[in-house]
Amino acid sequence: MSPSTTDHHQTITEQLILRLRIPTKIRNLEAALIVFAMLINAAAIALVDLGATGSLDISILGFIGGLGAIVMTMHIAQRFVARDADPLILPIVTLLNGLGIAMIHRLDIAQGLTGWQANASRQMVWTAIAMVIALVVIVVVRNHRSLQRYRYVWMLVGVVLLIMPLIPGIGVTISGARLWVDLGFVSFQPGEIAKIALALFFAGYLVTARDSLSAVGTTFLGVRWPRGRDLGPIIIVWLVAMLVLIFQHDLGTSLLYFGLFLVLMYVSTGRAIWFVVGGSLFGAGAFIASFWLDYVKGRFDGWLDSFNPVIYDALGGSYQLVQGLFGMASGGVIGAGLGAGRPYIVPLAESDYIMASIGEELGLVGVFAILCLYLLFVSRGLRIGFNGSDDFGRLLAVGLTFVIALQVFVVVGGVTRVIPVTGLTTPFLAAGGSSLVANWIIVALLLRLSDTVRHQNQAGDLQ
Amino acid sequence: MSELTLFILRFGFLAVLWIFVFVIVYALRSDLFGHYVRRGADTGRDRGDVVLNNEAAGTAFIPPAPTAPTEDPARTLLIVAGAREGLEIPLESDQLTIGRSAQSGLVIRDEYTSTNHARLQLWNGGWVIQDLESTNGTFVNNQRVSVPTPVPPYVPVSIGSTIFELRP
Repeated sequence: MSPSTTDHHQTITEQLILRLRIPTKIRNLEAALIVFAMLINAAAIALVDLGATGSLDISILGFIGGLGAIVMTMHIAQRFVARDADPLILPIVTLLNGLGIAMIHRLDIAQGLTGWQANASRQMVWTAIAMVIALVVIVVVRNHRSLQRYRYVWMLVGVVLLIMPLIPGIGVTISGARLWVDLGFVSFQPGEIAKIALALFFAGYLVTARDSLSAVGTTFLGVRWPRGRDLGPIIIVWLVAMLVLIFQHDLGTSLLYFGLFLVLMYVSTGRAIWFVVGGSLFGAGAFIASFWLDYVKGRFDGWLDSFNPVIYDALGGSYQLVQGLFGMASGGVIGAGLGAGRPYIVPLAESDYIMASIGEELGLVGVFAILCLYLLFVSRGLRIGFNGSDDFGRLLAVGLTFVIALQVFVVVGGVTRVIPVTGLTTPFLAAGGSSLVANWIIVALLLRLSDTVRHQNQAGDLQ
Repeated sequence: MSELTLFILRFGFLAVLWIFVFVIVYALRSDLFGHYVRRGADTGRDRGDVVLNNEAAGTAFIPPAPTAPTEDPARTLLIVAGAREGLEIPLESDQLTIGRSAQSGLVIRDEYTSTNHARLQLWNGGWVIQDLESTNGTFVNNQRVSVPTPVPPYVPVSIGSTIFELRP
């Protein structure tokens, strides 16, 4: 701040320099934080090796370096195509992703998996693929408003992806849930990608329909209900989500779509009644389903009566949940240390129960650090939504962020026995390619949205 | 590697993990706690003084007291702090609306500005600012205004993180 405000021309020049410098400052901060995150990731891998085997495995560190190179490529691409994008999202996600790889690597060591048998190797390849796809998204999608135009395409894509696992021949059932599609060369969970398509559809549709949704309708029980024709497309999607619950045996996914639908309805119309009605509908539905559908009943019993020996020993009982709780309990406040616990006792410790593994080896302190990272990620996402200049961007940012937040809540809540266990993946941490790809696309979209927000605010401040 | 070294390394790892979290919190502190407005306000006042001394004019740096009615009303608005620092806006009509809305005469987009924040009006030969029930208030010379308040030249008016002064 120079004292020469009277010299108008000079300050204008200063201001221009300032404005050119700000994005660089943001990007430099991002670069520094990415390097920091990659160092922590390398340290985590090194500690896993030291703790579990007593020696360092250089090859894994090399792969981690390769992933760091891809993140840096993404960072450099942003300097050209998204200079004003949020600088904190990428480092946070890099760290979460890396900690997940370290933990998966730790479980590979325990199970004696090496080379391409190892889950960590596959996770790293998927991370690379996911990052490259995110890079493509951020380079190709230059303006998020172009996505709004294809809202019904997104609806179709979402519905088709959701139904895909039910198609005979390509649908595969793994541990009771029919969520997978095997195309011969690659198998993936289409539901993960569908969540992005549906977020795009909900956001795009609600922007155009929200006025009639909140203003037109008949009053009943003191509440104005929207007309059927306004609600039509949303009801279709909701029905499909419920079909997922019934036919694909997946409580988590249907909860995710239903939650996304409710939040966006609430955000776009500003009426809390959606939460009250929707929440109680889902609660009632799940409660009734707990009597009807065996797998839902099993989940409820395992949750409410976990330590009952009969339920503990039952097939699909609470063995996994209780072992996870024991693991976290033995970890205590500061944890057993990376590579020093026994997280491999829990079935599926590298995917569904990765939070329990982390809780055992990094302790309560480590789990809270990770939850803080998620919290910061979500706060950035909501911030992008709040600052958004157009309604579609706002709704989309809130919707995408909420998808991540709800997944974290459902998974961590399930593992810590706050809510019944449901089959959702822990974003960025859990082993699983489809989930990584989907979440990195969400990251790319949020970065694109944040760039537009700041860019517009700078260009359109004064009119 | 001894048990102790490993233990220290593990402890250090948790510490570094938390340092990362706090670095990020520090990086977005302005988002969480708002901008450090005091400093900006002081600079604004200093500047007013500097300009006042330079011009050695009789225009008083008197807190909200209205200027002498004989004087011509201010003709420009100069932003002295905030994102648009250094910008001069000619006050051509007898009214200027300020706020986040794109319809405002002066658009200020930060988190502390309301959609229709305040209105600057020419009244009896002097500018008067009226707060339009904004959330975070309008401050004339660091005092929040609730009623239409005269704005003499060189007195800092702050809205959100932007501070402006009127110039003849």
